[in-house]
Amino acid sequence: MGGSAANKPKLIIDGKRVDGRSFGQMRQIKITASVLKNADGSAFIEWGNNKILAAVYGPKEATPKHLSDPMKAIIKCRYMMAPFSSLADHGRTGPNRRATEISKVIKEVFENCVVLTEYPGSQIEVYIEILQGDGGTRAAGLTAAAVAMASAGIQMKDIPYAVSVGRIDEHLAIDFNMIEDNYSDSDMPIAISPRNNDIVLLQMDGGLTKEQFMRSIKMAIDAGKTITDLQKRALREVYAKDEINGE
Amino acid sequence: MSAFDSVKSGYIKELLAKGIREDGRGLFSYRDIKIIPNVIENAEGSAQADLGGTRVLAGTKVILGEPMHDLPNQGSFSVSAELLPLAHAEYETGPPSPAAIELARVVDRGIRAGNCIDLESLFLEEGKVWSIYVDLYILNYAGNLFDASALAAMAAIMTTRVPKYEDGKEVREDRSRKLKINNVVTTSTFGKIGNTILLDLDENEDNASDARITVATDDDTIRASQKGLRGSFSLKEIDMMLDKTFEKRKELKSKLEHMK
Amino acid sequence: MMREIVLPGDLLEEKPVRMENAFVENNKTYAKVLGMYDKEHSSLIALEGVYQPRIDDVVVGIISEVKNKVYEVDLAFFGRCLLIAGKYDRETYKQGDVVEAVIKNIEDRKTIILTDARPLSGGTILQVKPTKIPRIIGKGSTMIRQISDLAKCHVVVGKNGTVWMRGGNVALATEAILTIEREAHLSGLTEKIKRMLEEQKGN
Repeated sequence: MGGSAANKPKLIIDGKRVDGRSFGQMRQIKITASVLKNADGSAFIEWGNNKILAAVYGPKEATPKHLSDPMKAIIKCRYMMAPFSSLADHGRTGPNRRATEISKVIKEVFENCVVLTEYPGSQIEVYIEILQGDGGTRAAGLTAAAVAMASAGIQMKDIPYAVSVGRIDEHLAIDFNMIEDNYSDSDMPIAISPRNNDIVLLQMDGGLTKEQFMRSIKMAIDAGKTITDLQKRALREVYAKDEINGE
Repeated sequence: MSAFDSVKSGYIKELLAKGIREDGRGLFSYRDIKIIPNVIENAEGSAQADLGGTRVLAGTKVILGEPMHDLPNQGSFSVSAELLPLAHAEYETGPPSPAAIELARVVDRGIRAGNCIDLESLFLEEGKVWSIYVDLYILNYAGNLFDASALAAMAAIMTTRVPKYEDGKEVREDRSRKLKINNVVTTSTFGKIGNTILLDLDENEDNASDARITVATDDDTIRASQKGLRGSFSLKEIDMMLDKTFEKRKELKSKLEHMK
Repeated sequence: MMREIVLPGDLLEEKPVRMENAFVENNKTYAKVLGMYDKEHSSLIALEGVYQPRIDDVVVGIISEVKNKVYEVDLAFFGRCLLIAGKYDRETYKQGDVVEAVIKNIEDRKTIILTDARPLSGGTILQVKPTKIPRIIGKGSTMIRQISDLAKCHVVVGKNGTVWMRGGNVALATEAILTIEREAHLSGLTEKIKRMLEEQKGN
């Protein structure tokens, strides 16, 4: 929604979106789990042209000590765009206000699904590095981080996923790319815990009627079946050779 | 250094006293080197370099800028490095550490002194040039960041495309022009543990080492060098390492062939 | 004996069943880790994750701090671990010493108290995933004894994932242990490791 209305390109042509997708169609998604050697858990996600690396360290001793909680684990999250991740600019390294806010809301998702009381006094670190961004990076990054968290063997009640739903004129469409994101009338990233469809992250700006708002959430939940399936498949593939019988 | 590292260092030293490396390599052998070019399409150039378990991603951005005051007729470039916290349990979030700054500057100096990038080809018109930003992203640390980063940076530069510039405006979509390269520089980094000198130190060896030296060269000239850590090298040792650097040059350069 | 890989949030049973690494919500049982589920025996074994200490576990640690007669021990665990020198722990340790010890108590789930410590001098250590330790030890210690015998290496395995080795062919023992760590979920491992050790030993 950063683009000015004056040079807004035509985002819908003959009922199709700029990249030829239908309104309910997501981009191609590929997830690979356990891609980094040093991290306790990791995942690489290619979501459309987004390329994102997520890693989890911990639970480990919380530092500094005064920030630790003797009753449960604390979660630290860093979402960051690489300086070469965008087509046009050279991004400055270091957190800006946008990255700081995204890091905070993603952290809160993991505070919801991780069983924090299992790891008193510890910290769990979540790193999301956007190597290439093309719209919807926080949703894709969160989806990858959830796989990294599970692959680290951390106790969780669910594996959350995220996707964004937006509005172009009177149409609701799922999973905006960068151009759509820049010129859309509304954008709403949503994260959901699939076990009971609880909403664990929601941000929105632009304009939606109540009916559109509710319909957007339902579209996210529908798309979620595919995302959840891809997350689980990535995790199972790490142990693919098995289906096991003990010795 | 953790308690674990210090026990490990003791063992590394014990083995080296017998001339053995923990992974069985020769003292002057590199681990496996693998470079994948063009991994980030949004960047003007990119490459991922694996040196054993160390993984570095380099990306370049070519951005419209102003020339330096003292060099009005040429473009500019700079190298930065980030030791990402996801690369190692001991790497932390925050501003670039002295280690990251040293790494970036050593890589920068080799490429700059070797005149690798034809900076004059980046001049556009008075007061306007292309600036090249090379960013090194350390994704997994397993020792010897210097050589892995130098390879990734050089490969990313070799794959770089320059956007079109027409009527005082950039056309970023048109990237048909290749960045002009004058020279290819490679580096070899040695460490000293006790009295033993070795090449391409892995993580445990890095932790155990007392002194480090990086030598950047092209085919026949030394272009840059940096000695690090608190230990020292003798003249004889330096002499030997320079010979080894030129010896290893062929192997490293071959990994950069076909980068485009 | 059919076992399957389950993931956090997966429904295990339509009824409440109490088992480790699972939770019950609305009278249904769900997994809370990535693990191997054995329905018949109602057991869910985690495939990854940090060390979960238990009283009487044998662990291997490194003395990281010495304060009077209290030693801080690094166990690659998120909490604290203390060894208090008593009449059974007469050894005097210094920073960097490797010890084998037994967990005597766990306070508030995050402070481990050790006892019966003995020093492991020289040699080297290896950190593996604690979830793979049972496999590295093997049924009735068969696996670890095999490695120790064929590599002629003195090996002490801590439940916390720290392995200490000294003498003989440490490189071969390390390779065998890392192979088990990587392939712990596969069958036929004892035979495979035996073949590997015998082949390599010939070289």
